[in-house]
Amino acid sequence: MTPLIYSTLIISLGIGTTLTFASTHWYLAWMGIEINTLAIIPLMTQSHSPRATEATTKYFFAQATASATLLFAATSNAFFTGSWDILQTNNPLSYTLMTLALAMKIGLAPLHSWMPEVMQGLTLLTGLILSTWQKLAPFCLIYQIQPHSPNLFMALGLLSIVAGGWGGFNQVQLRKILAYSSIAHLGWMVLILSFSPPLTLVAFSTYLMMTFSLFYSFMMTKTTHINSLSTSWAKIPTLTALTPLILLSLGGLPPLTGFLPKWMILQELTKQDLALVAVLAALFSLFSLYFYLRLSYTMTLTMPPNNPAGTLPWRLNPSHNTLPP
Amino acid sequence: MTPTHFAFSSAFMLGLAGLAFHRTHFLSALLCLEGLMLSLFIALSLWTLQFNTMNSASLPMILLAFSACEAGAGLALLVATTRTHSNSRLQSLNLLQC
Repeated sequence: MTPLIYSTLIISLGIGTTLTFASTHWYLAWMGIEINTLAIIPLMTQSHSPRATEATTKYFFAQATASATLLFAATSNAFFTGSWDILQTNNPLSYTLMTLALAMKIGLAPLHSWMPEVMQGLTLLTGLILSTWQKLAPFCLIYQIQPHSPNLFMALGLLSIVAGGWGGFNQVQLRKILAYSSIAHLGWMVLILSFSPPLTLVAFSTYLMMTFSLFYSFMMTKTTHINSLSTSWAKIPTLTALTPLILLSLGGLPPLTGFLPKWMILQELTKQDLALVAVLAALFSLFSLYFYLRLSYTMTLTMPPNNPAGTLPWRLNPSHNTLPP
Repeated sequence: MTPTHFAFSSAFMLGLAGLAFHRTHFLSALLCLEGLMLSLFIALSLWTLQFNTMNSASLPMILLAFSACEAGAGLALLVATTRTHSNSRLQSLNLLQC
C-alpha cells in the first residue's frame, strides 16, 4: 500500500472518531462511525489472504447492520420527539434499539460472535486498531445515551463478562484470546454505566493501556499462537519477564493497575444494593483469569517440550537491545 | 406512531430480517443492506414534508452518498471473496473457526 493511501486511511480513521466525539446531532455521529468503518476496511484486506478477506467481510456485515440500525433508531426518535439531539433520546424503543446497535458495534454479548473470527483474520497491528481505536466512537455515544433503567446495560454487561470468560477458555490462538478478553472488559465497563459513568471511563482507559501493551508485546515477538509464545523467551528475555505483569493486570489482580476498575465497580455495585450482580461479575471474571494465567505460565514457567538447544529461534535481526544473558 | 413512521419502520424491519436470515448468497445480504438504507432515505425525505421544516432537508442526500460508499465497499468485498474463496456463498467462509 502506497504511503499516500495509507496515510489517507489513517487520517480518515482519526477524522471519523473526532467527528463522532464533536457531534451533538445524531446524524453527524452516525457519519463519523461510517467513516471509521469505511476507512478500516482497506487496512484489513491489506494482505489479500483468504483469511483477511473473510474477516473483513464478517466485520463489514456486522458494522453495516449496526450502523443502519443506529440511524434507524435515531430517525425513529426524531419522528417521536422531534429532536435530533444526542442528549434528548427519550423514547424507550429508540434508546433500546440504539443500545443494541452500539452493543453490536463494539462487540458486547449477545452480539459478539463476529469479534473472535474477525480478530483471528487480521494482522496484530490491525487487530490493535480494531480493539482500541474503533471502540472509542461507539463508546462516546453509549456514554451519552441517558438510560431510564439500568436493566439493559447490566444484562449486556453480565452476559459479556460470561461470554468473554467462557468463550476464551479453550483457545490457543492469541488473537482470539485477545478478542474474548476485549468482550469481557467491555462487559465490565457497560455494567456500571448507568450508576457511575466516571467509573466506565476509568475502566475504559485502563483497558486501552493494557490491551495496547499486550498487543505491542505480541507484535515485538511476532507471536500469534501459544506455541510460538512458549519459545519467545529466547527472542526478547526482558519482554518475557514483563508480559506476565500485563496479563495479570488484565486479569485484575492487585496490586496491578487492572485491579483498580474492578474494585471500584464492585464497590459501586454493592452501594447500589446489587451485591449478587457484583458476585456474579467477580466469579465469571475468574474464567478470563484462567486463560491469562495459562498464557503467562506457558511464557515463563515452562520450557517448550523439545530440547531447547536444538530449537532456539534464529536471532538474525534483533528487534530489541537485550542485556547479555 | 404516524402511518409514515409505521411504513418506514416496517420496511426497515423487513430488510433487517432479510439481512439476519440470509443463508446462501453474499449478494442477497448486500441487497438487504441496500434495502435498509433505502427505507432510511425515504424516512428522511418524508421528514421535511411531514414536519414542514427545512432544517434537515439535505440529510437524504448525505445518506445517499454514504450508503453508496458502503455499497461500493460491499461489492468490492464480494469481488475479493470471489477471488480468494472461488465463490461467494456464505458457507464457504469457514476458514476462521476455532
